[in-house]
Amino acid sequence: MAKGFFTDTTVCIGCKACQVACHEWNELPAPNNGATELTGNSYDNTGHLNALDWRHVRFIEQLPVSREMNGFLQGSRWLMMSDVCKHCVRAGCLEVCPTGAIIRTEFDSVYIQQDVCNGCRACISACPFGVVDVGEDGKAHKCTLCYDRLQHGLEPACAKACPTDSIRFGDVDDLMVLAERRAAALQAQGTDAYVYGKEEIVGGLNAFFLLVDKPEVYGLPSKPELPSRNVSEGFAGSAAAAAALALTGVVSFRKNRMDQAAEREETRDGSAPAGGAPAAGGPSA
Amino acid sequence: MTATMFAAAPLAQLAQLAQLAQLAQLAPLAQFAQFAQFAVNPQSGYALPPRWGWYIVLYFFLGGLAAGSYATATLLDLVGDPRDRDAVDLGYLIAFPLVVACGLLLVVDLGVPLRFWHMLVQSENVPELLFKWWSPISVGTWVVAAFGFFAFVSFVGALVERGTIRWAPLVRLDRWARARPRPVTALWGVLGAFFGFFLGGYTGVLVTGTSVPVWHNSQLMGALFLISAASTSYALLMILLMRRRGRSPHDGTVEKLARADRWAILMEIVVLAVMVALLGRLARPIVAGGFGVVFWLGVVLVGLLVPLALHGRRVGRMSEERRATLGAACVLAGGLLLRFVVVMAPQWPGVRPWSL
Repeated sequence: MAKGFFTDTTVCIGCKACQVACHEWNELPAPNNGATELTGNSYDNTGHLNALDWRHVRFIEQLPVSREMNGFLQGSRWLMMSDVCKHCVRAGCLEVCPTGAIIRTEFDSVYIQQDVCNGCRACISACPFGVVDVGEDGKAHKCTLCYDRLQHGLEPACAKACPTDSIRFGDVDDLMVLAERRAAALQAQGTDAYVYGKEEIVGGLNAFFLLVDKPEVYGLPSKPELPSRNVSEGFAGSAAAAAALALTGVVSFRKNRMDQAAEREETRDGSAPAGGAPAAGGPSA
Repeated sequence: MTATMFAAAPLAQLAQLAQLAQLAQLAPLAQFAQFAQFAVNPQSGYALPPRWGWYIVLYFFLGGLAAGSYATATLLDLVGDPRDRDAVDLGYLIAFPLVVACGLLLVVDLGVPLRFWHMLVQSENVPELLFKWWSPISVGTWVVAAFGFFAFVSFVGALVERGTIRWAPLVRLDRWARARPRPVTALWGVLGAFFGFFLGGYTGVLVTGTSVPVWHNSQLMGALFLISAASTSYALLMILLMRRRGRSPHDGTVEKLARADRWAILMEIVVLAVMVALLGRLARPIVAGGFGVVFWLGVVLVGLLVPLALHGRRVGRMSEERRATLGAACVLAGGLLLRFVVVMAPQWPGVRPWSL
């Protein structure tokens, strides 16, 4: 039974309880020895998902060009979204991991086993959402869907802490029904709400979102591709190059070339063909 | 290199840009800059850079040299002249040390180097082997191991042939192996060269098998790396033949290598041009900016066009030795710079040009 998150961004209030709960439960330290870092980007204090921040709340201020247009603050929006690992049905990170550290758990989540990971960082380049990051310990880190809590029948820390139930945890199928219902209700009210994370997004996301604008507005790719998509073409291209190199190599290295070169040497210098000894008649350095 | 160090600098700049844009009432730009932290950076799109630095750049370069020198030695052995023996000897001598260097670079690059064996053996299930044929890195790990084996045996064989190793059992073994029927001895070299081709090309495919836009959309990267591997190997063997074996630039073997290198350079130019053209706007990190200067001057001009002009042609009043050595040296420099630009440029600013 696949478990996951439904993050309804329309009821997110940007309180960052999810970020705090995640840090508390997973004992993730504050970066920079706890010194406050201001990004200057609205109320965003983490900037991006990284090795220490497995929940990242985004703030997107959408303001019209002129504030006088349509009246004061009309046409403006402040979008908030709690970003997290999507635990993709077809996960790029899981695909490329050469140590088998990244596995699919019994809850269908994607989990990085810390005692197997050797820090090759292939998963970091593979994730189309930029979720995985390498930590100071040299290993890859990301949201675990609170695997340890799930194994004891608890829900993930962020879902538990979220005061508006923007983050809901449960069976993905049930959550999808809720999400569609919510999207329909919002559309009836005139908001362009939709579910991001159905099958067309890398086979489906177990942690999916309800968005009201284009994915790029939220820093999400609209058409993510699996990293392996172009690999077979890559190998085919290499094979073709190998054939071409073998051919040109054989043509260049064949014995008769040697004889032709030897003949040229003889007619030019009137001496023996070039071989182990340096040519006597060549210009000096 | 903490995540915050990585995030803070460009974000601070982007945040300032966003503030200015908002003040200037450039709302669309402000929105774009704000939430697109990394997406606005055309280098990385949404994928995070894997922080592969100079260890990996050198590994790509030396791996190509190892593979290429072995394959060249095999080819010369199969279709060449008795006078090419020196080159065959050199090729088999340098391949193994180069592979060892590659292995060391890969291990040192890991976040937890002592766990390098986790890529070969299932650490939770020792001694089960681990092989994921759909993951270029997993395939590559085994290719390096297999090629290393072939390179080692040929290395020992070359040392026995030169008389450096005189231990009787090995000498007997070497004689026995060389006395096998021709198809068998040829097969050894061909198999080794096959793994060599794999080694030379898979690193490009590995780079394609990521989500970093410049890399992901370069299906020809594997072909490019392989051709560059061949080209740099020809150049290295040319230099070694002239400097270490005293051959003249007009020596038959040196000219053969120069000829093969000209073909390789031509192919490399075509593949590179097609790859950059197909990338379109995505190629900007490589062809524009600081890395762009290195690309056009270092990779294209010095690495491809200059050697093409120098190989096998007389140049003004330059001595032939100088011309030949310069041409080969340019190829080597260009090969290293190609990998430098391809690996580092798309990771800017998360990875600096001096990052290990």
